[in-house]
Amino acid sequence: METNKHITIFHGPQHPGITGNMSVELDLIGETIQKATTHVGYLHRGFEKLVERRTVIQAFTIVCRICVPEPDPNEANFAMAVEELAGIEVSERVKYIRVMVLELSRLASQCMWLAGQSGSIGLYAVGQWAIADRDLILDLFEELTGGRVYHMYIYPGGVRRDLPDGFLRRLEKVLNHFKKRLKEYDNIFINNASFKSRAIGVGIVSPEECIKNGYVGQVLRGCGIEADVRKDAPYLVYDQLDFEVPTAQGGDVYARALVRRAEMDQSIHILEQVIDKMPEGEIMVKMPTHRKFKLPKNDTWVKVESSRGEFAYYMAGDGSEKIRRMQVRGPSLVHAFTLLEDLLVGAELSDVALIMNSLGICPPEIER
Amino acid sequence: MFATIKNRFATTDIEVKREDLYKVVVQRDAIFELIFMLREQYDYQTLNAITCCDWIEEEHFAITYILTTSDRKQSFMVQTMIGREDAQIDSLTHTFEQAEIMERDLHEMYGIDFPGNQNLVELSLENWVHTPPLRREFDTLEFVNNNLSFREGRDGNMDVKKEMKRLRALKKAQKAAAKKAKEEASEVSDGN
Amino acid sequence: MKWSIDISGTLSPLGILAAMMQKPNTIAYPAVKKETAVGYRGFHTNLLVDCIGCANCQDVCMNDAIDMIKTDKEYNVKNSSQCIPRIDYGRCCWCSLCTDVCPPDSLKLDEEYLGVTQYASDFLYMPKDK
Repeated sequence: METNKHITIFHGPQHPGITGNMSVELDLIGETIQKATTHVGYLHRGFEKLVERRTVIQAFTIVCRICVPEPDPNEANFAMAVEELAGIEVSERVKYIRVMVLELSRLASQCMWLAGQSGSIGLYAVGQWAIADRDLILDLFEELTGGRVYHMYIYPGGVRRDLPDGFLRRLEKVLNHFKKRLKEYDNIFINNASFKSRAIGVGIVSPEECIKNGYVGQVLRGCGIEADVRKDAPYLVYDQLDFEVPTAQGGDVYARALVRRAEMDQSIHILEQVIDKMPEGEIMVKMPTHRKFKLPKNDTWVKVESSRGEFAYYMAGDGSEKIRRMQVRGPSLVHAFTLLEDLLVGAELSDVALIMNSLGICPPEIER
Repeated sequence: MFATIKNRFATTDIEVKREDLYKVVVQRDAIFELIFMLREQYDYQTLNAITCCDWIEEEHFAITYILTTSDRKQSFMVQTMIGREDAQIDSLTHTFEQAEIMERDLHEMYGIDFPGNQNLVELSLENWVHTPPLRREFDTLEFVNNNLSFREGRDGNMDVKKEMKRLRALKKAQKAAAKKAKEEASEVSDGN
Repeated sequence: MKWSIDISGTLSPLGILAAMMQKPNTIAYPAVKKETAVGYRGFHTNLLVDCIGCANCQDVCMNDAIDMIKTDKEYNVKNSSQCIPRIDYGRCCWCSLCTDVCPPDSLKLDEEYLGVTQYASDFLYMPKDK
């Protein structure tokens, strides 16, 4: 290496444009990145080990903490895996409520992405608006589940509380607000000339690479591939609901932004159907107490579509009341290493935060 | 597909877990052949995850490769067992680029060696010198007791079951004492 | 890269100026307080006339946050262990499993959630009797 030509800097973990507690070590010549290495380890909490020490019911309360901006796919995955292993069938109403919670959390998470993506290029007003709108969803969650961020609501065997009186009406009101609001986001952010000039042609991923390397979510859909767990392997009641899988061409940051924006529309569309179709029924099957609930010796692999792509759990029971193994495979694990390290080579230093945000990398689920 | 796998790999262990999920358990030396066959002939193009589960009683790790078709409608769990002592299995990095990070994760958490993976450096645990943490013999409670401390002032915790027993015994004793006192009192009055 | 003017893309973001006429989304906090939803998972309360000292809450608590301690307050006559729960808020995660398993439903979570203290020992919290 020639002296005075290369600079090595750490981007993160305290850089405001970064997506969480992780850092990227960058080798630069001038402003151009020669080599990128992802470093994690600022956030390791050992959930996979902690789960092994707890009974199934006790473990349910920590899985939501695996991903901070969007905890519900974790809860849904955990509940689905436990139900599959234990052979529990939940009622129609529970399925609809779960779909509602998952879509709400997707909407909230996309708002969070709007804030991050716009913040990464300096359009802070959009970020403030998006966070304010996300708060409306958090208010709904507070009313429904008793918690704003960590809901601990989707319980193996059902959900913990029934819908409060008039909840669906209030949900409808929030959705109407969002419909108005999303047009404004189009004007000030998605169609914004400064965002376009920064995002088009940056961070391009090719479709072949996507399939081969197991990239998921918007990265795939931004390459024009119609991939969505909700359509490909429907869980809960997604096969009874009408929605589209939005795609875009180009595979760059802008294509992924368009996909995310279109997904917000689809989430609202799904939620409106859920409001119309919400059936009556039990919200919880009868579950034994936590020391008596046992999982048979078996293993399974379940997945849901989170706001950033396929979110999967491997779960193995061993006939005792504890889970033998729960492995989390979030979308970020491959995105943050295989994909990000590739994409950043040749990119400009100022585009690092932009690319990271568009991939939706969430460090808590890399380290668990 | 199942018949081919059964014939070629001499296994009867094929399970249909769900409509979209199959599982097969094969011998360790046949696993890569099976993965390549699934990839070439049956369109299982994506490696979604490599998972590991520690069966300490049976002295092995169950390594599962999860493969998905290119239209993402079918998944296949390909499982094999490897011994816990000096655990090692060949790397898949030459075929699947993303295997590198998954193997790195398992290497750190279980201490499994993946010959062929050039990048098995530490991932999230910094300067870790103990047993790899996800092995079953690593006791988190013992680790915590040795390295961390509880909040001060948490004394006064009672063992409720013992306390209930003690109180019940005490009550009984009190009752007996009262009865005895009553009897004695009546004896005394009888004597008079 | 060829440079051309994107007229609609340049003008449409100016619509953000309309927001200057709108009311702010935030509330003036100490003067106006946000109403907490019914059923919010805040601080614990424990109705002592109902508590039977069974330690189910201690058993289900995955964080070992609950101690069963002797009390000098008046307790339920049916409290067979004469102990009541005390919660370490340094460990509690407000999952409310303890309130789910409480047989007489005496342990509950309140809507109150603000606590400010300068002593770390105050994290050991005796649930309010209500």
